[in-house]
Amino acid sequence: MSLEVSPFGGSLPIVEPELENTSPLWIEEKEVSSAIVATVTPPQPASPEQGSRNFWKVFGTTFITIFLAELGDKTQVATLLMSAEFHAPWIVFTGAAAALITTSLLGVLVGRWLSTFLAPKTLDTAAGITLALISAWLLWDVIKG
Amino acid sequence: MDWHLLGLSFITVFLSELGDKSQLAAIALGGNSKSPRAVFLGAAAALLVASLLGVIVGEETAQLLPAQWVKIVAAVGFAVMAVRLLLPTSDSTEDAN
Repeated sequence: MSLEVSPFGGSLPIVEPELENTSPLWIEEKEVSSAIVATVTPPQPASPEQGSRNFWKVFGTTFITIFLAELGDKTQVATLLMSAEFHAPWIVFTGAAAALITTSLLGVLVGRWLSTFLAPKTLDTAAGITLALISAWLLWDVIKG
Repeated sequence: MDWHLLGLSFITVFLSELGDKSQLAAIALGGNSKSPRAVFLGAAAALLVASLLGVIVGEETAQLLPAQWVKIVAAVGFAVMAVRLLLPTSDSTEDAN
């Protein structure tokens, strides 16, 4: 294995064919370390890292999707009403934040669990249908309200 | 610290969020993606910002955001993502790796 590629897990797809005697365990460890690097460091323009770019792309897509779905939703209205009623916005925010982090962690874990026994193609179709239904749901809210 | 209010807001938000649109979207995106960590962090960050806005707007008891317009924009966004996932494109082969 060459030294200049080992610290960067992001370049893995390019170097993989050269490393035929590499154990799967080693590859997995590299992927994990690259994910950690992507989590703690901002995007580095000096070395265009595939893994880091992918992380921020997924992060951005998820952020915008969930943020738009959440605006004006019942959770946000609940926090709005509670903070208006009790005049303790930071306590309400702390409780809501803890609940939302827990539910999004649950959501991602359920998604990963589904991916263990569903083919990627099936999962793509299911995700597409789910997002289309959410779209219809939002439009129905607009028409009704 | 008002633990009663903290618990109340946790339970209220947790229950109203289970099976909700944003959790379904997190399930769909998390199962689909190569980096679930990014999906989790993105979802958590979005929900924190959204609830921060809710708290601020609630405290000032003013309607700052036209929710109807935001929902229309969101609906269009979801429809675009759904079409992209359902149509076989070069994107899906990239994700299959």
